[in-house]
Amino acid sequence: MSNHVNTPTAHGNDKGRKLRFHIFRYNPQLPGDKPRMQTFEIEEQPGMTIFVALNEIRERQDSSLQFDFVCRAGICGSCGVVINGRPDLACHTLTAKFSGGEITLLPLPAFELIGDLSVNTGKFMRSMSERIESWIHSEEAKHCDFNVLEERMDPDLADKIYELDRCIECGCCISACGTKRMREDFLGAVGFMHVARFHLDTRDQRTDDDWYEIIGDDDGIFGCMSLMGCEDNCPKDLPHQAQIAFLRRKMVMVR
Amino acid sequence: MKSLLQEEVRKSRMPARLDLLQSLSGLVLGLFMWVHLILVSSILLGKGAMNAVARFMELSFLREDGSGGYPFIPWVIAFGIFLVFIFHAGLAMRKFPSTWKQNRVFLSHMQMMRHPDTSLWYVQVVTGFIMFFLGSVHLYVIMTNAGSIDPYASADRFVTDWMWPLFLILLFAVELHAAIGMYRLAIKWGILDGEDPRVARKKFKKIKNITSAFFLTLGILSWIAYVYIGIQHRAHAGERYISSTAVEYSFVARG
Amino acid sequence: MKVVYTDSLVIGAGLAGLRVAVASKMRGLDTLILSLIPAKRSHSAAAQGGMQASLGAAAKGEGDNEDIHFADTVKGSDWGCDQPVARMFTHVAPKAIRELAAWGVPWSRVRGGDHEVVINAQRTIIHEKEEAHGLIMARDFGGTKKWRTCYTSDGAGHTMLYAMDNKAIELGIPVHERMEAVALIHEGDRCRGAVVRDLITGELIAYVAKATTIATGGYGRIYGVTTNAVIVEGMGAAIALETGKAPLGNMEAVQFHPTAIVPVGILMTEGCRGDGGVLRDVDGYRFMPDYEPEKKELASRDVVSRRMTEHMRKGKGVPSPYGDHLWLDITILGKEHIERNLREVTEICRNFLGVDPVKDYIPVRPTQHYSMGGVRTNWTGESPGLRGLFSVGEAACWDLHGFNRLGGNSVAETVVSGMIVGEYVADYCEQSTLEISTGVIAGFMERERARIDALLARPSGEKVYELRSAMQQIMMDKVGIFRTGEKLQEALDGLKDLLRRSRNIALTNKIGSSNPELVDALRLQRQLKLAVTVTKGALLRTESRGAHTREDYPERNDRDWLKRTLAYWKNEADEEPTIEYEDLDISKMELPPGFRGYGTDNTIHHPNTAGRVQQAAEIVQSMPGADRFQVQNALMPFDLPAKYKEKNERIGVGCK
Ligand SMILES: Cc1cc2nc3c(=O)[nH]c(=O)nc-3n(C[C@H](O)[C@H](O)[C@H](O)COP(=O)(O)OP(=O)(O)OC[C@H]3O[C@@H](n4cnc5c(N)ncnc54)[C@H](O)[C@@H]3O)c2cc1C
Ligand code: HEM
Ligand code: HEM
Ligand code: SF4
Ligand code: F3S
Ligand code: FES
Repeated sequence: MSNHVNTPTAHGNDKGRKLRFHIFRYNPQLPGDKPRMQTFEIEEQPGMTIFVALNEIRERQDSSLQFDFVCRAGICGSCGVVINGRPDLACHTLTAKFSGGEITLLPLPAFELIGDLSVNTGKFMRSMSERIESWIHSEEAKHCDFNVLEERMDPDLADKIYELDRCIECGCCISACGTKRMREDFLGAVGFMHVARFHLDTRDQRTDDDWYEIIGDDDGIFGCMSLMGCEDNCPKDLPHQAQIAFLRRKMVMVR
Repeated sequence: MKSLLQEEVRKSRMPARLDLLQSLSGLVLGLFMWVHLILVSSILLGKGAMNAVARFMELSFLREDGSGGYPFIPWVIAFGIFLVFIFHAGLAMRKFPSTWKQNRVFLSHMQMMRHPDTSLWYVQVVTGFIMFFLGSVHLYVIMTNAGSIDPYASADRFVTDWMWPLFLILLFAVELHAAIGMYRLAIKWGILDGEDPRVARKKFKKIKNITSAFFLTLGILSWIAYVYIGIQHRAHAGERYISSTAVEYSFVARG
Repeated sequence: MKVVYTDSLVIGAGLAGLRVAVASKMRGLDTLILSLIPAKRSHSAAAQGGMQASLGAAAKGEGDNEDIHFADTVKGSDWGCDQPVARMFTHVAPKAIRELAAWGVPWSRVRGGDHEVVINAQRTIIHEKEEAHGLIMARDFGGTKKWRTCYTSDGAGHTMLYAMDNKAIELGIPVHERMEAVALIHEGDRCRGAVVRDLITGELIAYVAKATTIATGGYGRIYGVTTNAVIVEGMGAAIALETGKAPLGNMEAVQFHPTAIVPVGILMTEGCRGDGGVLRDVDGYRFMPDYEPEKKELASRDVVSRRMTEHMRKGKGVPSPYGDHLWLDITILGKEHIERNLREVTEICRNFLGVDPVKDYIPVRPTQHYSMGGVRTNWTGESPGLRGLFSVGEAACWDLHGFNRLGGNSVAETVVSGMIVGEYVADYCEQSTLEISTGVIAGFMERERARIDALLARPSGEKVYELRSAMQQIMMDKVGIFRTGEKLQEALDGLKDLLRRSRNIALTNKIGSSNPELVDALRLQRQLKLAVTVTKGALLRTESRGAHTREDYPERNDRDWLKRTLAYWKNEADEEPTIEYEDLDISKMELPPGFRGYGTDNTIHHPNTAGRVQQAAEIVQSMPGADRFQVQNALMPFDLPAKYKEKNERIGVGCK
C-alpha cells in the first residue's frame, strides 16, 4: 500500500500527438450514400478517450458523424464499436493505448446498422430477452407479498448472481463470435450469460427441461463452437468460458 | 413449479446427443492418433523395433511359430477407426460454413479480429477437410493391404508408391487438428477446469502447443526415416522385411 | 400525419418510467414507452451505491423504521420537501425493495456472524444477527441515522433497471426506442400526449394518450462537468415548461456530489465513504473531521461538497492541469472488500485514470450530480397545471427531496413514485376518455415541423456547439456550489444572450433524418430555457437552503423562503420564465423546521414554527398508549393507493 500522493498515470503524457482516426461512414437514410472509410486527424489530449475524440470530431470537423454514447463511464453498454479489429467500449478506451496513433473504427457487425458507428443493439437485445424469457419465473414474482419479510437468499449466491448480472448488453460478445456471424439465428454469448444467470438464481423455478426447450439445439448451446471470442472481448470480463461449459454440461444431461 | 411445457411437444434431444458424440469421436480419434504416431515412430528405434510393433499389433505372439500373426487385426482396427473417422467428419460437417457466403463472412471476421481461438477453429476446418480425403486414401491402403505392415513395406509405400507427400501433409493436418481439437474439448466441457477456468485455459493452451510441437517433431523424424529407408530399399521394392535377416542394416548405423 | 393512440403514454424508460408503465399494464391498460435509447441503457443503470429502505435487517440498521427514514429525508431536504410525500415514500420504500427482490434483483444479503468493517477510519468488528442471515443487507450513506442503503455490490441501479425492464418485457410493454418527445400536445387544461421525433428517420409522429407521464430524468447536462450521462439533458422538464401551463418546481435546487473523478466527472459512489473511505488534502491530511466532527465524510452531500470547496479555497487542494482536486482514499478498506463491494469503482479507476484504488488515492472534486427540481406535481404525481400530465423520478418535483437529496433516496424515489403514481395514472386513465380533434394534433405537429425546417433552412448563423459550451461554462462558473447575487446576475444576462442567439442557429449538416447536430440544436434551444430558469430561481432566492448556497445570504431563511419556486414559460418569445411561489404550510408539518445539525445554526425562523412545535408536542402528549402509527396519523395524515397501505414487517419487531 502506497500512502504517498500519486499522480494519475493517464494524465500528463502524450500531449500533442497527432491521432489519425479512420472511421466507417455510411448513412442508409441517405439515398445513394455508399459505405466508405474517412480519415480525421486530431490532436491528442492527456487522458483522452475515444468518446472525447469522437465528440471533438463531431463538434469541430464533421457534425454528421453518428455514434452512440450514454453514460461515457463503461456502464451502460451503448458505445460498442470495433476498435482496430476488436469490439470494445469506445468510452473506456484511452487513445494512449494505441502507440502508433492510428485508430480504425467500424460499427459492431452482426447488428442492424443505423448509420456510421451507430447500430441497433437495443432491438437485438429485446428479442434475445424475449427468446430466453429473461425474467424470474415464479409465483412469488407474479404475486409478491411485499408487506412481509423477503425470501432469504444465501449471501454467497447473491454475490454470484450479481457476478453474472453485470452484463451491460453492449453486444461486443456477439460481434466477436464467428459462429454468430455465420449463423444469424444463433443465440450468442449474451443470451447464454443471461440464461446462466437465471439458471443460477434459486428464485427462478425453471427446470433443466425448461431450459432445454430454450437453448437445447444448434441455434442454442450446441451451436457454440467454443471460439472464445466472447470470453476474450467482453468489456465486463464476464466468465463466458466457464458458464457456457456449465450450460453445455447441464443440457447434455437432460434426458 | 411443473415443467412449463409438459403437454407440449418436447424439443428433440438429438442435438445434445450429437454434440456429445462429436466430442467423444474426436476424443477417440485424437487419442488414437497419438498412440498411432508413437507406434509408427518406432522406426526411429530401428527396423526391428518397428517390425516388432507391427507384429505385436497382429498379435503374432499368440502364434508359436513366430510367423505373420493375424493380419485381420489391423484391418479390424482400421475399419473401426474408419467408421469413427467418417462419423466424426459427418458431424463436423454440420459446423462447416455451409455456403460460400458464410465462409467469406467467417474469413473476413477472422481477419478483422485476429483472435487466436477463432483462427484455430478455421485451422481445424481446413485440416479436417484435408484429412477427409487424404486420411481416407491412407486408410483405404491400409485396409486393402492389411498384413503388409513392416519397415520395408511401409517405406516402399512412402517412396515407391509415392505416398510421401500425402503423409507429410497428413502429418501436419492431423497433429494440428488433434491438438487443437483436444484443447477445444477441454474448454468446451470445462470438466478439468479446477478452481479458475481462466488459468486452466492458459494451461490447456500451453499443453496444446507442446503436444503439437512434440508430435510434429516425432512425425517428421519418422517421416525422414521412412523416406530414407524407402530410397535405399527402392531396388528391392516389394520385398518384405524378415526379422532374422543377417544383413540387417539400421538407418542409424548407416546414416 | 402518423398518429399512435394508447391509454398510458410514458416518456422515459428509466426506473421511474418503467415502473409506471408496469403499473398501467398490470391494470390492463394499453401502455407504451418512449425512450431515446434502449431501456436498459437509461441513466438509472449508473446508480452504484444503492437504494434506501428501512428494512432494519443489518446490525447497524437495527431499530430503523419509516419514522427515522422520514426524519432523515426531511432534514436532508433542509425542510424544503413536501412532508406528506416523504411519508408516502418512506412507507412504500420497503415494499418496493421487496418487490424488486421478487423480480430478480440480487440484493447483497446479510451474513450472520462477526465481520471486520471500517468505521471512522478504524477497523471494527460488527456482529450480524444469525436470525437476519440471508435478508437484505444495507450500508451506511451520508445524512442517515441508520445503515439503510440496500445495495448489490456497487451495481444497484444496474441490477434494479435490468429487473424492472425484464418485468416490462415479460408484460409485453412496447418500448419505442430512439424516439424523442419534442412537445406535449395539450388542449385547454388537459394534456393529450406528445409530438415525437424518430431519431433515425426524422419523422414526426403524434402519440395521443389519455395520460402522459414524463420520466425523462434530470437536467445535469446544462453543466459542463457532471456525473450525469450525456443524454440527461432535461428535455422532459423543458417540454413541460414550454406548455406555459405546467410549472417546474425548485429548478435552482441542483446537487453537487462530493466525489467525482477529475477531469471526466465520472462518479465514485457514496458507498466509498459509506464503507469507510476518507477524504484527504494535498498533504494527505484527513480534513473532514475538522469541519464536521460528528458526521465527518458522511455528512449530507451538500455539506461535504461545500466543505471540500472551502478547503480547496484555503489552498489545500492538489493542483492538476484540470484545476485543484482532493483525494478519496479507500485503500484502508482492503483489497478483498474493494474487489467484492466496489467492483465498478475499481474498473472505472483502472480504465479512466490508470489508478488502482487498492493502492492509490483517487483524484476527486465536487461535481454536478442531481436535479432536485423538475416538473412540479402534486402528491398524486399529476401536474397542477395540466390534467393528465404526470411526472415521476428525477424529472419530477414531486418534492421528496426539497433542496438536497439524500444518497440512495433517488433510485428509491424512482421505484416508489413509480408504484404510487403508477396507480394514480391508471385511475386517471380508467376515469377519462380520449377526445381530441385532429386539428389540435396537427397544430402541434406543424409547430414542431416549422421549428425543424427553420433550423435546416437557415443558410448561416450561430453554431450549436459554441453556444452549448458557452452555456455550460456559465453554469459551471457562476451557478455552482457557492452562489452570489452578482455572479448569478451575470449568468442570467449571459444565458439570455445565448438564448437569443440560439434562435438564430444554422446547421452545417442539413439532413432532416438522423442528424446529431439537428438533435443537439433542438435540445440546446430548450436547455437554455432550463438554464435561465435555474439561474433566475437561484438569483431570486436570497437565502441558503440545502444545496442552494448564497454566500451573500448564508442563513436559511424560513421566514421569507419556506416556499417552493414555480416557473412558467408563458410565451415562446419570452426570455425568462414567470416565477411564482407556493408556500410550505408549517401548520401541517409533522416535523416543523429545526436545526439540521451541520455547522452553526443561523436559521431565520418562521413566526409559525414555534407554535407548530408546541402543537405537535401536545398532540403527542395527548395520546398516551397510542402506537407510532396513530401518533403519526394525528400529526399529519397522508393517503396512499389502497394496495400500499399495509404495514411493513421487520425482523425482530414484526409490524410494530
Ligand atoms: C453516476 C450516478 C450515480 C447515482 N447513484 C445513485 C445511488 O447510488 N442511489 C440513488 O438513489 N441514486 C443515485 N443516482 C441518481 C439516480 O440514479 C437517478 O436519479 C435516477 O436513476 C433517475 O431515474 P429516472 O428513471 O428518473 O431517469 P433515467 O434513468 O435518467 O431515465 C430517463 C429516461 O428518459 C428517456 N428520455 C429522456 N428524454 C426523453 C425524451 N425527450 N423523449 C423520450 N425519452 C426521453 C431516456 O431515454 C431514459 O430512458 C445516481 C446518479 C448518477 C448520475
Ligand atoms: C487403424 C488405422 C490406421 C493404421 C493401422 C495406420 C497405420 C499406419 C502405418 C503402418 C503407417 C506407416 C506408413 C504405412 O505403412 O503406410 C502410417 C503412417 C501414417 N499414418 Fe496411419 N494408420 C491408421 C490410421 C491413420 C489415420 C486415421 C490417419 C490420419 C487421418 C493416419 C495418418 C498417418 C500419417 C500422417 C502417417 C505418416 C507418419 C509420419 O510421416 O511420420 N493414419 N499409418
Ligand atoms: C483422425 C482425424 C481426426 C481427429 C483426431 C479429430 C479430432 C477432433 C477433436 C478432438 C475435435 C474437438 C471436438 C469438439 O470440439 O467437440 C474435433 C473437432 C472437429 N473436427 Fe475433427 N478430428 C479428426 C478428423 C476430422 C475430419 C476428417 C474432419 C472433417 C471432415 C474433422 C473436422 C472437425 C471439425 C470441423 C471440428 C470442430 C467441431 C466443433 O467445433 O464443434 N475432424 N476433431
Ligand atoms: S456478455 Fe459482455 S460482451 Fe456480451 S453483452 Fe454482456 S457485457 Fe457485453
Ligand atoms: S464466441 Fe461464439 S462460438 Fe461460443 S464460445 Fe463464444 S459463443
Ligand atoms: S457510453 Fe455507456 S458504456 Fe460507453
